[in-house]
Amino acid sequence: MSSITERRLAVVSALWYTGLSTALALGFYLAAGGGRYDMVARFGGVIWVFILAMIITMPVIIPLVKKKYQ
Amino acid sequence: MNLLHATGIGASYLIAVINTLWPDAGFGGPKATFYESAALLTAFIVLGRYLEALTKGRTWEAIRKLMSLQARTARIIRDGNEMEVLLEEVRTGDLVMVRPGENIPVDGKVSKGYSAVDESMITGESIPIEKRAGDDVIGGTINKTGAFTFEATKVGKDTTLAQIIKLVEDAHGSKAPIQKIADVVAGHFILGVHLLSLLVFGLWFFTGYTRWFTPDSTFLLSTTTIGSIGVFGFSMLLSLTVLVISCPCAVGLAAPSAIMAGSGKGAENGILFKGVEAMEVTSRLKAVVFDKTGTLTRGEPSVTDVIPVGAVSGDDLLRFAAGAEKDSEHHLGEAIVKGAEQKGLAVGAADSFNAIPGHGIEAVFGGKKILLGNRRLMKQQNIVFDAYVEMVADLERSGKTVMFMGIDGQPGGLIAVADTLKESSVAAVRHLREMGIKVAMITGDNRRTAEAMAKQAGIDHVLAEVLPEDKANEVTRLQNEGIKVAMVGDGINDAPALAKADVGIAIGSGTDVAKETGDIILIKGDLRDVVSAIEISRATMIKVRQNLFWAFGYNSPGIPIAAGLLYPLTGWIVSPQLAALFMALSSISVTVNTLMLKGFVPSLKREQFKLEEGAV
Repeated sequence: MSSITERRLAVVSALWYTGLSTALALGFYLAAGGGRYDMVARFGGVIWVFILAMIITMPVIIPLVKKKYQ
Repeated sequence: MNLLHATGIGASYLIAVINTLWPDAGFGGPKATFYESAALLTAFIVLGRYLEALTKGRTWEAIRKLMSLQARTARIIRDGNEMEVLLEEVRTGDLVMVRPGENIPVDGKVSKGYSAVDESMITGESIPIEKRAGDDVIGGTINKTGAFTFEATKVGKDTTLAQIIKLVEDAHGSKAPIQKIADVVAGHFILGVHLLSLLVFGLWFFTGYTRWFTPDSTFLLSTTTIGSIGVFGFSMLLSLTVLVISCPCAVGLAAPSAIMAGSGKGAENGILFKGVEAMEVTSRLKAVVFDKTGTLTRGEPSVTDVIPVGAVSGDDLLRFAAGAEKDSEHHLGEAIVKGAEQKGLAVGAADSFNAIPGHGIEAVFGGKKILLGNRRLMKQQNIVFDAYVEMVADLERSGKTVMFMGIDGQPGGLIAVADTLKESSVAAVRHLREMGIKVAMITGDNRRTAEAMAKQAGIDHVLAEVLPEDKANEVTRLQNEGIKVAMVGDGINDAPALAKADVGIAIGSGTDVAKETGDIILIKGDLRDVVSAIEISRATMIKVRQNLFWAFGYNSPGIPIAAGLLYPLTGWIVSPQLAALFMALSSISVTVNTLMLKGFVPSLKREQFKLEEGAV
């Protein structure tokens, strides 16, 4: 496989897992809305959810993208 | 694993910094500056890593010991001059001098002198072996009493010691199937743990905190109260603890450490496992097939009967046979040549020689066409021995191998050759049967001789009159019964069967082809080591499974507690440092369990020790 394809796979994978993690973090932000939680809890939660979501989705998405494009 | 550590330590430290700089941020304030959590987490992780390094270091001891046997220099005689040279400068053919107490630098053949050599470090044989002109010596062994000179036959990476080191290193480098499964499980486990951590965070954040949180909650095994920690701080604390307590650090150590210790234990006993897979399959063996000549027997047959049936005399018969077999490398051929020489007969060279695998030989000697081999060869050449059937049967029933000789198309005579069982064969077969392993003997010899020999060895399953190319098929036939089969052999003709068997066990004194093909090499050629190899493999694989249990066992029950499952009922929270301690405990368990393998002694060796103690 050429390095261009490798790079493309990496970019596509990154877009997917970052997108999913952002969506999950955004979902958390919205769920924690309505004045029930203070800003620290809300934003802290968003960051923690985003980090964990990235860790979870990264090893799952990369092989899936590779499988799809190869 | 590092990811779990990084997330755990990083988050603990970050919360502590936030609580110091912004006490009202909702992370528990000044009472919840968990710097010690980050520090203790790091300390326990370092402790775990130290234990891993310690275990790995201990298990590499076998290789270090082997390497330390290597002499640095050698005293050689080159061009008539005695000189001391570096080991790397010794060449094949050099004459090497060895004094009492010195290490033998390379492999070779004694040309002059007499001594006793301690070969225990290579072969596991505790009694020094006498060496005189013509005997082989192994590099790395220690000369005890006398001085001798030998001709270097193998140097550098070709020496027995260098090859043993390479095999042990290769075995350490390979991965057992169980290890591969453990790696996959660990990979999924880590992913699952992060997912669980996310769920725990979400559940405690949205519902758990408001329902069950009380500020006077204390950490498990501690008097520290949590205090006024906010929803985010509390949820994250539980989420973080799940990450830390779940870390299966010891999984990476569980299988390799036990396998390294096992292969080291094998090397210590003169048993070389070429790969981890060999060790794993050996632990599951259900049948062992032994080759007869050179494996169960000494492989040094001698002529017992020479029976002329034609016009030629007994001595002529033996002389013709020896001349025809002079170029043969077969054990039986060598026995005939040796027998003729011992009788003082002049053994000339054949005009032509052709080996017929599985049948015998044909040669032209002294203008006569000689055929020497089994009854199959005679039948093929239409040479009839019908009048001697009873005589042949009697010889065979007493365990002798009868060779038929045809001269110019007519029956010439019978030559009986007998081989003796190795002392170790009977004990090895008995122990294998006691272990519930099916034992079989395979040979090209006729059924009567084979059965007589098998009876002496205690084997009741005999595969006789098997052509070399069919030995592998016989192994396959046993495998088709759904059992794991090992083949033990030493010859070139055993190589296909060694390759076909689930585990090929080659005798160290055997041919290079057999050793190349085998998965296990028995340096001493003592068949009791087959038993020891199985016992060591079984002990190692038990350790692997126990280690995997310890590696996962500590973490798994701790996860629900760390996730706060008991909190609504008991108010228990696991602190990150306690979680890290549990994590380190699994490494300690694995380390201690692995090190216990160092004390393992194969049963036959234990018996030998007892006998030696009794003799003293």
